[in-house]
Amino acid sequence: MKYLKIKNYLLLLLIAAIVVSACNKDVEQFPDIQVEKPGTALAGIADTLASSARSNNSLYSAIIKKAGMAEILNNRSSAYTIYVPSNAAVKTLITALTGGAVPAGSPDAVYLGFIQSANFTEATAKGIVSYNTLPGKINYTTLGTTFPNYQAPSIFNPMPSLSALLRLTIFPSARNGNFVNNVPVIAAGIEAGNGIIYETGAVVVPPQRYLWDRINTDPDFTYLKAAVLRADSGTVAGNPASSLVAALQSIGANLTVFAPSDAVFKATLYTLAYPVVRAGIYAQARAGGLSEVAANAYADSEAPANTTALTGTPAVFSNPVLFSVLPAISVRGVIAYHILGSRAFANNFPATAANFPTLLNGSIAAHPGVVLQATFAGPMVTAATVKGAVNPTAANIAINPTPDPNGTSDQHYLNGVLHKINQVLMPMQLTF
Amino acid sequence: MSVLKRLLVTMVVFFTLPAIYAQTLKGVVKNSETGEGIPAASVIVKNTAGGVVAGDNGAFEISVSSFPVTLTVSSVNYAAQDVTVANASFLRVALTPLLGQEVTVAASRFNERLIESPVTVERVSATTIRNAPAPSYYDIVANLKGVDVVTSSLTFKTPTTRGFMGSGNLRFNQIVDGMDNQAPGLNFSVGSVIGLTQLDVESMDLLPGASSVLYGPGGMNGTLLINSKNPFKHQGFSFEFKEGIMHLGDAARDASPFHNIAMRWGHKVSDKFAFKITSEFIHAKDWVAQDYRNYARIGTDGAPKAGTRLTDPNYDGINVYGDETSADIRQVLNGVAAQAPFLAPYISTLTTNPILVSRTGYNEMDIIDPTTLNFKLGGSLNFKLTPGTELILAGNWGTGNTVYTGSDRYSLKNMKMGQYKLELVNKNWFLRAYTTQENAGESFNATVTTRLANEAWKASPGATGWFAQYGQAFLSSKLAGQSDYDAHQAARAVADVGRPEAGSAEWKRIFDSVRAKPISQGGGLFVDKTDLYNYEGQYNFSEMFNNVVDFLVGGNFKKYVLNSEGTLFADSTGTIPINEYGGYAQLSKQLGIVRLTLGGRYDKNQNFEGRFTPRATAVFTVAKNNNIRVSYQTAYRFPSTQQQWINLNVGGNTRLIGGQEQFWDFYNFRSNKVYYLNDLRQGTAKEYDYVKYKPETVSSFELGYKGLLADDRLMIDIYGYYGMYKDFITRTLLVQNRTSAAISQADTLNGNIFSVPTNIREGVKTYGFGIGLDYRLPSNFVIAANLSSDVLSDVPVGFVSFFNAPKYRFNASFGNTGFGNQNRMSFNIAYRWQDSFYYNGDFANGRVPKINTLDAQISYKLPAAKSVIKLGGTNILNQYYVNAIGNARVGGLYYIGFGYNL
Repeated sequence: MKYLKIKNYLLLLLIAAIVVSACNKDVEQFPDIQVEKPGTALAGIADTLASSARSNNSLYSAIIKKAGMAEILNNRSSAYTIYVPSNAAVKTLITALTGGAVPAGSPDAVYLGFIQSANFTEATAKGIVSYNTLPGKINYTTLGTTFPNYQAPSIFNPMPSLSALLRLTIFPSARNGNFVNNVPVIAAGIEAGNGIIYETGAVVVPPQRYLWDRINTDPDFTYLKAAVLRADSGTVAGNPASSLVAALQSIGANLTVFAPSDAVFKATLYTLAYPVVRAGIYAQARAGGLSEVAANAYADSEAPANTTALTGTPAVFSNPVLFSVLPAISVRGVIAYHILGSRAFANNFPATAANFPTLLNGSIAAHPGVVLQATFAGPMVTAATVKGAVNPTAANIAINPTPDPNGTSDQHYLNGVLHKINQVLMPMQLTF
Repeated sequence: MSVLKRLLVTMVVFFTLPAIYAQTLKGVVKNSETGEGIPAASVIVKNTAGGVVAGDNGAFEISVSSFPVTLTVSSVNYAAQDVTVANASFLRVALTPLLGQEVTVAASRFNERLIESPVTVERVSATTIRNAPAPSYYDIVANLKGVDVVTSSLTFKTPTTRGFMGSGNLRFNQIVDGMDNQAPGLNFSVGSVIGLTQLDVESMDLLPGASSVLYGPGGMNGTLLINSKNPFKHQGFSFEFKEGIMHLGDAARDASPFHNIAMRWGHKVSDKFAFKITSEFIHAKDWVAQDYRNYARIGTDGAPKAGTRLTDPNYDGINVYGDETSADIRQVLNGVAAQAPFLAPYISTLTTNPILVSRTGYNEMDIIDPTTLNFKLGGSLNFKLTPGTELILAGNWGTGNTVYTGSDRYSLKNMKMGQYKLELVNKNWFLRAYTTQENAGESFNATVTTRLANEAWKASPGATGWFAQYGQAFLSSKLAGQSDYDAHQAARAVADVGRPEAGSAEWKRIFDSVRAKPISQGGGLFVDKTDLYNYEGQYNFSEMFNNVVDFLVGGNFKKYVLNSEGTLFADSTGTIPINEYGGYAQLSKQLGIVRLTLGGRYDKNQNFEGRFTPRATAVFTVAKNNNIRVSYQTAYRFPSTQQQWINLNVGGNTRLIGGQEQFWDFYNFRSNKVYYLNDLRQGTAKEYDYVKYKPETVSSFELGYKGLLADDRLMIDIYGYYGMYKDFITRTLLVQNRTSAAISQADTLNGNIFSVPTNIREGVKTYGFGIGLDYRLPSNFVIAANLSSDVLSDVPVGFVSFFNAPKYRFNASFGNTGFGNQNRMSFNIAYRWQDSFYYNGDFANGRVPKINTLDAQISYKLPAAKSVIKLGGTNILNQYYVNAIGNARVGGLYYIGFGYNL
């Protein structure tokens, strides 16, 4: 019996030990990675804009509804930056869009009625809202002031059939104040549950045409058009990628075109050609037996009309007679000098004159480029200039930012911006 | 069964001479305290190898040539007795219960009682196996003191002692009936898959610590010797089946049955000839490796980390395969930026940091055949040429499916391995020749195969490849304002469109086609038909010296023939032979109370310098059955066949190569230089030192005591050891520029990476102790407990030791091999606890939590039917555990068994 007791005691001990410690833990588990959640407790963007606190955005809120984008803009799993114009800005746009059919000063209900009407299509509404909506949150204090701006994709894909990754881009900038494209951001950002709202002084309208569309059709850019075509001749065949025309109508390009008007081209070409034309007439007259004095007088009388005849039409660029004095490569150089490889709205120009490279720097890296400068009154640009390296004075941009096709500055296209100028920019001394 | 028996008898009779029977002596062996018969008691004619084993009730029948004759009667846990018999009248022998009396040759190749062995030795007898709760004899080893086991899968368990455990443990020899059962090409011991069958194991001896001198190079950490039953001694037909259930409460698998059938038939046709046939079959659903934790592979030694498939785009689950294929999708984004410059400024805001993304993987349970199968067939033909000399022709063959963890998880599918031996044994000498024939069957590497299967479904690179699709979809989602998290989910959904579901016919078709293609042809199959041939002999001169001194010499010649058809080794142009030879001598003498033994061994491998390893032991008999032992042992290990000749692309630009200089030339190491990858990652281009690798060595001291106390009822075994390892063999990563250009940091991502074997110059030290207590209670009850500890010290900074041993482990057991009415009942309870430890493996590293397991069985004998019914289970509290990171998660296994004539 004694042994039995020992046995029981030991057995109990063994069982006790087992029960106390017999619980195997699983291998160490780590707390899971904290997933970044974009949404906060605040109301979503669309709800924020629709709230009574944002009554000054009620018309834009109606446009969002018309676009059918309220749900997307309230989606908490995404974060957006959205540019929202005030009611006054929406009214201005509508008056312009309707050609005055909805006159300025109409009651809000009239504007609202227009937004809800079939005259204002869902596609238009969607284009405007999605062009003004960007993925992620833009923070102007950390945006930087690199010239000219930050090219940001909007959520607007104008041609999904071309590529799922195609996006129209929009250009926030913190240079000279906060802007998006050439429109000032007029208030600090408003935090919403899924992003940030910036109020703008005007509706930022999505571009619809290419730069080439304007150059190709504007009656005041016939010389520019001819020059571009001439610039492409001879080079394109061997290297299609270098075609300026192609770039000017490529969705992938991002350009600033300084566009001299026909009159400017005409005057410049006249000045360049006159001495050559006159010298030719003079030499001919002398060969014809005229005295030096008579030949001079003859040349003086004949040269202007002859020069005008030669340079008075855009055909000047395709005149084989001039090929030796106006070679394609020179025209190409001059045209390239009128184009920046980025999209600079006038408000992106520095207040103090500074040099910026042009497409010409692609072939002549050391070239000083052009000198840009803008004068501001508040956020508005009142004057802007661009100066060529050998031009004695700076060319003026004709300030008129009325949307394409009527304006002359900040003309915004799918692939760039165009400013009309009053000089041909000269990268170097050019003679015929 | 009787049909089979009759058939076999008939076959055997055809080729044996009619036996001439001598006189027969009948008797019974009983316990002097209880008067009960002692089952399986051994009765041998003294100083010969001839003998029998008593039946269940202690009854025996032995043939002797003449009278008088002296018989040695012994049994586990009884004092052996010599009985001189004058005539054939019925003999009654009463043995006194006493622990530690078994005789083993394992510890010094001389016959010694366990209690007198000069080094620590642990013995598992057939009785222990019969009474153990574990369904497989192999599992019992885990309850011995100082033993750790790595469970790769149900049928793949690797024991080791004194640290450095791993599935493919190269530092622990397993020797079955004198045959080293390491798979010669795959380098792991296959003991539990292909070896002896359950009913044919007579005993197992475990020698912890360095033991090269006795058993050849390799036994750095220990040696396990498994001995089978000789058909002259163990006769009759026996069988056992166990039907069990497992996977209860398993997260990865529903409860499923476990089937195990084993049989053995040993028959002595005459005094000149006996034979045996053994077989075993196991069929079950395997334990599932299901560690789905994220794993940091790059830039670290490897460690589990936070993150799931959802929260980490570059998730690489430990037991998830295919997700090792990873790329930085900034390449894709930058490609888009070049094509679509209007997106470039935005894309540049996304690409400040690498965006690493991994492909979607498949869990282990989705790719590895759940059925574990194991079929073993073995047997021997034993001829007594003279009463003292026996010729044995034996073979063990096995096949099956199992899973092994090495540098990866390997599904060993339809693997076949056979060991065949011809042996001539005399009590003073033996000559033995054996061969190991390996065939990896349809085995494949889980990671490589799944990665390739992913590629077969959808290629990773290219303009429309998986990563391009992912990158574009990711960008598209980012452009829609989505968070990184959502964009990654959306991108994965897009890239994975049409991905075959795990388990679908489509997935099976793709996976099987990759699996069936050899690695050399861009598949995952490794063809391995490597063979080993070994010839050895030993002569014991003790009799010649009238046993004044014991002296023996021996030697062996070993030849590997590597044959993987270029899938594993650099043997695409033909097999690679490796020759190794060794010789040893040992001298032993009793000087008063001290028995001194001196031994030494010389080994030479054709690719390495030879080395002499000495051994010295002393046993002080301080009192009867109380011995103090002191030993100095050394061991030496040649790099494994894989460390010499492997040439395996493991993906991620990484190639495992052997250490032979031929590889340096083949891969132009000298003209297109190689650099240490980890240094280059830190920014330093450190050129490889081109030092040839060499064998590793260990020397260890041990002090121990084994004795009987408390009225000879308590056996105590204590040891302490101190070991010094030198020239550890490990692997290091090198990188080479792809185009022979100057090396740069970019090559850490794009270069050719080689993993080469190398030695670690610094020595490391290990020490530890073990204490075991066995207390013999009355009425056959035995209670036992042991505690052991292993510690690694002097580890240099940054050294990955692979020590892999818990600091402490504890085992306790309580059992009885026969009690109650007619001793019909028996039971055993075994409990094991091991401390938590950090596990380093080639496959995965991480902390292994502490483990408790409780095993128990209870049996009821039916003496009339010579049968026993057994109800048992392992890990009966069903506390799931892993004992190595990345390995199978093991739960409870419960069975009921029926055995006949065990």
